[in-house]
Amino acid sequence: MIRGGRSYVTSPPSFSNDAKKLLVCTGNTVSVFSAATGLQITSLEGHTAPVTTLIVVPAASSPAQKILCYCWTASLDGTVRHWDFSGPELLKTIDAQLPIYSMVIPSLLSEPQVQIDKRRELSGKLVAYVSVEDTSVVKEGTKELRGHIRRFNLAKPRIPRGDTLKETEEPESIVISPSGEFFGIRHKCKIHIWDVPSGGGSRHAVSRKMTLHHSKFINAFAFHPTERIIAAGDVTGRVLIWRGFGNRKLALGNQKKKVRAMVDLDNAGVRGEDDAESCTTWHWHSAEVNVLNFSSDGAYLYTGGREGVLVVWQLDTGKKKFLPRIGSPLLYFMWSPDPTLSSVVCADNQIHLLKMPSMEILRTISGIKPPPSLPRMYEGLASTVAFDRSSGIAALCTENYCVQLYNLLNDRGISEIQVCERNHQPGDEITVVVTAVALSLDGSVMSTTEVKLPEDGIGGLVSLKFWVSEPHSKTFTLSTIVYEPHRDAGVSAIAFHPTRSMAVSTSFGGDFKIWVCNSDKNQADKDSSWTCHAVGSYKKKPMTAAAFSGDGTVLAVAVENVITLWNPDKNILLSVLGATLTPITKLCFAGTSEFLVAASHFPRPELSVWNASNLSLSWSYGLRIEAVTSAVDSSSFAVLALIPKSFRTDESKENIFRSRDGAILLFNGSDPKPVSIWTVMKAKGGSISFLEGDKSQLRLAYVNGSHEYVVFDPNSDESHERSAVDYDGLAGQEETGDAGYTSLYGQLPDYDKKRMEDAESLATPFVSSERPWETIFSGSTLNFPPLQKLCAEFFESLMEKRTAVVE
Amino acid sequence: MNLVNIRDVLTSFSPALDYLAISTGDGRIKIWDTVKGQVQTEFADIASTEETNIYTKVAKGHLSVDYTCMKWLSLERKKKRKLGTSVLVLGTGGGDVLALDVASGQLKWRISDCHPGGVNAVSSSARASCIYSGGADGMVCQIDPHSGNLIRKFKASTKAVSSLCVSPDGKILVTASAQLKTFNCSDLKKIQKFTGHPGGVRCVAFTEDGKYVFSSAAGERYIAVWKSDGAKKQSASCVLALEHPPVFVDSWGETNEKGLYVLAISEIGVCYFWYASNVEELCNAKPTKVALATEDSPLKHHKGSLPIIFAAKLQGILKPGSAHAFIASGLLVKPSFQKMVLQFGTDLVLNASKDGILLSIAQVSKSSKGQGVQNRVITLDRAHAEDALLPIARVADLHEKLHSSDKDTDMVDQSQADHEETFSMEDKLRSLGILGGTDEQKNLTYASIIDGTDLEAYLPPKKLKSAVLSMEPSFAFKTLEALVAMWQTRACGGRHLLPWIYSIMVNHSHYIMSQEPKNQQLLNTLLKITKSRGTALQQLLQISGRLQLVTAQINKAAGNQTQTTAHDHEIDESEDEEEDVEEHFYGENDNESDLSSDDGKDKDDSLMEM
Repeated sequence: MIRGGRSYVTSPPSFSNDAKKLLVCTGNTVSVFSAATGLQITSLEGHTAPVTTLIVVPAASSPAQKILCYCWTASLDGTVRHWDFSGPELLKTIDAQLPIYSMVIPSLLSEPQVQIDKRRELSGKLVAYVSVEDTSVVKEGTKELRGHIRRFNLAKPRIPRGDTLKETEEPESIVISPSGEFFGIRHKCKIHIWDVPSGGGSRHAVSRKMTLHHSKFINAFAFHPTERIIAAGDVTGRVLIWRGFGNRKLALGNQKKKVRAMVDLDNAGVRGEDDAESCTTWHWHSAEVNVLNFSSDGAYLYTGGREGVLVVWQLDTGKKKFLPRIGSPLLYFMWSPDPTLSSVVCADNQIHLLKMPSMEILRTISGIKPPPSLPRMYEGLASTVAFDRSSGIAALCTENYCVQLYNLLNDRGISEIQVCERNHQPGDEITVVVTAVALSLDGSVMSTTEVKLPEDGIGGLVSLKFWVSEPHSKTFTLSTIVYEPHRDAGVSAIAFHPTRSMAVSTSFGGDFKIWVCNSDKNQADKDSSWTCHAVGSYKKKPMTAAAFSGDGTVLAVAVENVITLWNPDKNILLSVLGATLTPITKLCFAGTSEFLVAASHFPRPELSVWNASNLSLSWSYGLRIEAVTSAVDSSSFAVLALIPKSFRTDESKENIFRSRDGAILLFNGSDPKPVSIWTVMKAKGGSISFLEGDKSQLRLAYVNGSHEYVVFDPNSDESHERSAVDYDGLAGQEETGDAGYTSLYGQLPDYDKKRMEDAESLATPFVSSERPWETIFSGSTLNFPPLQKLCAEFFESLMEKRTAVVE
Repeated sequence: MNLVNIRDVLTSFSPALDYLAISTGDGRIKIWDTVKGQVQTEFADIASTEETNIYTKVAKGHLSVDYTCMKWLSLERKKKRKLGTSVLVLGTGGGDVLALDVASGQLKWRISDCHPGGVNAVSSSARASCIYSGGADGMVCQIDPHSGNLIRKFKASTKAVSSLCVSPDGKILVTASAQLKTFNCSDLKKIQKFTGHPGGVRCVAFTEDGKYVFSSAAGERYIAVWKSDGAKKQSASCVLALEHPPVFVDSWGETNEKGLYVLAISEIGVCYFWYASNVEELCNAKPTKVALATEDSPLKHHKGSLPIIFAAKLQGILKPGSAHAFIASGLLVKPSFQKMVLQFGTDLVLNASKDGILLSIAQVSKSSKGQGVQNRVITLDRAHAEDALLPIARVADLHEKLHSSDKDTDMVDQSQADHEETFSMEDKLRSLGILGGTDEQKNLTYASIIDGTDLEAYLPPKKLKSAVLSMEPSFAFKTLEALVAMWQTRACGGRHLLPWIYSIMVNHSHYIMSQEPKNQQLLNTLLKITKSRGTALQQLLQISGRLQLVTAQINKAAGNQTQTTAHDHEIDESEDEEEDVEEHFYGENDNESDLSSDDGKDKDDSLMEM
């Protein structure tokens, strides 16, 4: 069981005190990476829901304390945990009972000495401010203010409700000043700031609050490390800097300073009654600002946003320096205790370690890239994940017109192939979409299709590309580009021949083309180009899916409701398999057996299995299928099905599914009963594939909609499966055999039966039909009445019609 | 460019084979990612960075360290699938043993002056429960890999230990100077002594099951094989000869089950591979060589650094005689990694990539031109894309008719009724399971048998007969099989097939009868098909007659004169030369062919005659 592909970018990472380790929140765990090598060293496991906050306990500057490796984590599972991450060892768990979205511990920053910290802990005082979601309110109504900012005392193992400082609609993240004096949240166009009661004092010391206003929604803000300066970035790309905030309301010495503040009241740029001396606006960013961070000495401000450029502002003069071409929206910027090292976290799941004064990218911790956001018209049609079954490599389409090759077995990115020759500028309008990627069975050839979206209805272009692998550099080089492979129509599917260099592309324009590589004949591998071998069509209907049989002798192409079987070499239509109710979107031969799996989902979802040897429907389910895969050697196949919402929210089943919305069903050949079922999360947009690395081992890989994945052995025993499941929860509990099946899908055989009845009721009333001879023979041959009856009936009907005409 | 001797190169694969550590003798260690083919990390100065000792501060910088041996271990945790720590254990010429934590890039532990005079070898068992190191002082140290504590130390020989190896199960330790000695790991008692090597042994290796030991001394051009469970003193059980002295030996396989697989790399960077089912055969086995292509004018001008194979590891056995191996080859500055199948008996020549060589300007221009050719991209536009070899799809006979009938669905005539009829009947038979059991693949192979003959073309009966007579009886029988299969799977219309089937049955009946016991199934299926089609025949004929009548009436009413042509050649033929078995067939076949024939009027005529 291998899991991976977790997002590194859900919450800000944190450096250890010696700047040699980088702690990253990865789902339910915290991964510790080495800053020197970029490799994962260890992980902190224990939380049962995503970790949202990570605070490394800062140490004093003495070298002896630099090696201290303590951190606090807070998670959506409602616990706060204290760790020693050198071990790694869990020291303490505190149950807060509510999902925590953000947490700050001011006293760690203001009094960094660990000794003091410990003493405070002993005396029962370690105050944390947390942003929680009040789940009790959620159930009552949506209008309630769910997000609460509360004060907790972490010294106790169980936390009472705590004092609520502020209520908001959504849980907000808390930002704390580097000195530990202030903390605040952003809320729409406002920033609320509290000061931390100084001296740690009594439990009942009340934080004082102030608010800064702006005319736009604020995306991020940061405190200056030493002075009373706040920088904030808004959605339009402006950076606002308030100086001298809180002189009146949060003043330390009370009366005296208040007088001074009154004098400064007429200062420029400050809105209304806001408590600040001045407000400056810098406008360079064209899109929203996500990243704001002051340098540790307070002389510079680092900002970044959607356009993927890190900007350094000299705070006094407003002069700028840039690190451009990061290529993805920036999410966080973190300083390390080592002044020459910092890190930038990007939305495409990459953490770049920067060498600081010069801002070079030293090293990148690269995660699996998130799926691209496709225009709505391509949703569900695109197949953006392909698998190399032998080596366990997945090819994934990414936002920046690339295909990322990712090794699923050891959770590492391998390389990236630029598919379209254009620069990706995050934030630009999407003009080119990579709609499909396919890999041949041996992984040596890749094929991609891209669509240049038409602007105002003109200039659209579809192109199909074939790539050959370079064994030495583990990448692909372009071999052939085909512009407009199917005239103006889009490519709906690509499939590779299992043994030869042959591929088929189908189009919505009503034809399919078989492509062959001419290096098959002459061994000169230098110029392997692909040419069109054959063109076929069936009644000019849109072709939506294609699959080669296990031995490659038969090509199945889905034409709306029917499946056509072709001889790919000679381009001969062999036969037509009867009709499904709705157009087919996915097609797959079940390994070496004669069964053909077809899935369709609009308007009525259906999974049907056809027997190619007698051209009849074996069985079908009314399930929405997201992906189909089959093993090469055996007759088993697996489908990824979306569980209907009505079924999922059923009261009795709720605890089975929790938040899982999909299921992987493993079937064996003709048997309509699944061999085993696993429930999974984020199944929409997911894909599955068998991996056949070693001869003995057959594994199933599942990549979900946000590119997290799991690789597991479908035949392994249940207990092993369970233990692994409890640990994360990407793939849910497995239920093998009858019990699981009936509990989950008890009613599905009924579906089947009903469908059959439907089909029969459709097929029988041919006497009443206007032109019976046209309808009798359409549909599945399975539904025909006996032959003798059929002949007589048919001709009788014909006769009656005729005689009526004559008379 | 100075020549780096492969003898001085230390290599070690990570246990999962995803990294390779290379040290070329300058005190730096490069970790290559074998998946990406890129450098992951480089360790330099690791031995001296964290040093606080005044005495060792004198020699700083990476050149002051010389590593003499290297071994990559992964320390397993108790819990499975958890991230195990990868540790690179190194021995230095100064006598230190140190361990690097590869993931964090830090020194994990260090034992200073473990072996005065230099560490010569480190080894550990597969589970890495402890590390053994041997040095110039003749001592062997047992070290705990987690903490770096010295567990115990013992004198293995009076001379320097030049190499040592632990059996994969961790029970036996073999140390080598000139003489090999095996020890029981638990009580460190000497078990055996192998003598015969003239000098210091450079490499030793155990087989998977620990039953054999391979060893080779410096300068020797052979590998000696020793039995580890035999007598106390013994000579080599066999000797594997190489053309150059080996520097590295790896083996795989259990002697009694899968056979022995031995992999060695010689000094000049050629990989040798032996396979035998047992030791006796291994003596006579001729090695299979894997080498890099040594052509290349540009490379010859470069002194020294030829691309070589410098690391290899057996991964697993595919089938007897062939094994998966992971090979690192090329130049040390830019190795390339590949997983390949070694087939015993077939020498392999790998292509050497020129990556990493500094070429002179002239060569650069040449090679860049070559690169241009390599990266040529073929572009097909719309016109080319349509220029297919088979631009029009052919349709299997039956469906062609369907198409044609689709076009004129409005015309209600007899012929259409006939098409539909044939279609539905065959489908019906198929769904009844009479036609089941064959798939398309078979069908296609049959089609290839009768590729030469054009079935679709209409042949007069006499020509058909002569064509069939010209066939060899055995070929005719094959053809018959193919035809029956085609008829069964409807690859071709019955109208075309049946005359052939009939003709073969008639003309080669003797041969068929002689083949009969063997191929009863064939005739049975034929019988079944024809019979089942025959059952419906009577009704069809009746209906057809009535139809004929009605149409005639209609036509008469419309004042149309239909011409009926007599075309009953098959009836004529049916008269002559029939035998008892075939007679039955023939009658059915004939009518069937009529039924499925295109123009319904033929049938009607014959019907009237009846």
